[in-house]
Amino acid sequence: MHVTHELELFPEYSVTQMLFTDVKNAAALRKSAMEGQINGALINPAMLVDPFQALVAANKAVHLQKAGKMKTRSLLSEIIFNLSPTNNISEAFRRFGMSDGDGAVHVVTVHPREDMSDVDTILARVEGRQVPVGEISTFTDVPGIKKLYKVTPSEEKCGSLLEAVVCRMAVKDVV
Amino acid sequence: MLERSRKINPGAAVPLRADRRRQRRFPRLPDGNMASDRSDSAAPLLAGCALWKQGAEARIYRGKFLGRAAVVKHRFPKRYRHPQLDEKLTRRRTVQEARAALRCRKAGISVPVVYFVDYTTHCIFMEDLVGSITVRDHIVTTQQSGDNPESLGGLADEMGRILAKMHDEDVIHGDLTTSNMLLRNGSEGPGADLVLIDFGLSYTSALPEDKGVDMYVLEKAFLSTHPNTESLFQQLLNSYTAASKKAPAVIKKLDEVRLRGRKRSMVG
Ligand SMILES: Nc1ncnc2c1ncn2[C@@H]1O[C@H](COP(=O)(O)OP(=O)(O)O)[C@@H](O)[C@H]1O
Ligand SMILES: [Mg+2]
Repeated sequence: MHVTHELELFPEYSVTQMLFTDVKNAAALRKSAMEGQINGALINPAMLVDPFQALVAANKAVHLQKAGKMKTRSLLSEIIFNLSPTNNISEAFRRFGMSDGDGAVHVVTVHPREDMSDVDTILARVEGRQVPVGEISTFTDVPGIKKLYKVTPSEEKCGSLLEAVVCRMAVKDVV
Repeated sequence: MLERSRKINPGAAVPLRADRRRQRRFPRLPDGNMASDRSDSAAPLLAGCALWKQGAEARIYRGKFLGRAAVVKHRFPKRYRHPQLDEKLTRRRTVQEARAALRCRKAGISVPVVYFVDYTTHCIFMEDLVGSITVRDHIVTTQQSGDNPESLGGLADEMGRILAKMHDEDVIHGDLTTSNMLLRNGSEGPGADLVLIDFGLSYTSALPEDKGVDMYVLEKAFLSTHPNTESLFQQLLNSYTAASKKAPAVIKKLDEVRLRGRKRSMVG
């Protein structure tokens, strides 16, 4: 159900992604994450095109943390911030973070390679139905994403929506 | 300027750091920023990659980025430059390359997808166009094979069209050569699927003069790399002119720049 990737650039860390629907305790989850009881970025799955997008955000967050150049206060908030095409932090949380009333959530956690305890904690805490991460596209709000990232029709002719999104995430610090 | 990158043993992997991270530590990621170690060596980031090409400004590596085939362009420090100046120039080139990539893609001009940029070590991780060849190699091979040089006409048309589109977006490439253009599917496949690369010297400008110089740089590079291609290059210019309303002003400037170039060479 969940998928774990190694970060090639930071091989001591892995990223695990989990997708849930019919979530009943969104508000409580958000509170637990803020209080540090669960170690996972809670993302609105409607704003994800593909798990690769979340992986790119997590990789960049680990890199910036190691370089001492994060723009937010924690690795988890940095992952959410990195998904956004703009440098406005509160907007990033509003658009990409899970909201209290949400019924679906995509959870991203960064952990030492062999240590799955954070994943187990998250699985235990979420009151909802876990679905395969590969089903993320059934949650994707394609028009919303195109609008938010300002993807042009001509751009879609030379590449996929995922590529358009990833490119913006990668260069947003300098545009 | 023309062909700065030299192929080194293509295909053979040169592990940069074979026994990377033998002693694994598993620090729990703390909240907030970690203290940074102040070495700006790119070595850890490139540990899983193999050196592919060595240029004067950058090394090109091939490897994986989050499971995808990736090219890493590392602009290494130049010892002969003042460190601070070098840092500034190198950073600017990395930034320009990343910026231009997005600007071009928005306009529907194919460039490799940028996956990740490290502005501390000046590494760009991008999509690897596996199986592509440079336009330079394609022209050379076609010319050597002797058959059907007209087959390059379609490619010249496409180059003209794409460069007109790029200039219509006010992107000046800054280093147009046939090595900085790739054919996505190699020589095979229908139509020329052209991809522009190497935007480190690019900038934005609406001035016909800047666009004219861009075309002049290409003309010089093109004709010296590929002998006897004057008519082919003219075909490129014709296609460029047909593709953009702004092109006549650029061609006028190109003519002026050529004249200046000739005068200079007569004097000097
Ligand atoms: N994304 C890519 N996919 C495939 N090959 C690439 C890619 N980027 C660069 N190359 C190859 O590496 C060469 C050098 O890259 P380039 O960006 O032009 O660096 P340089 O500044 O050294 O000329 C290119 O001519 C091309 O053959
Ligand atoms: Mg080049």
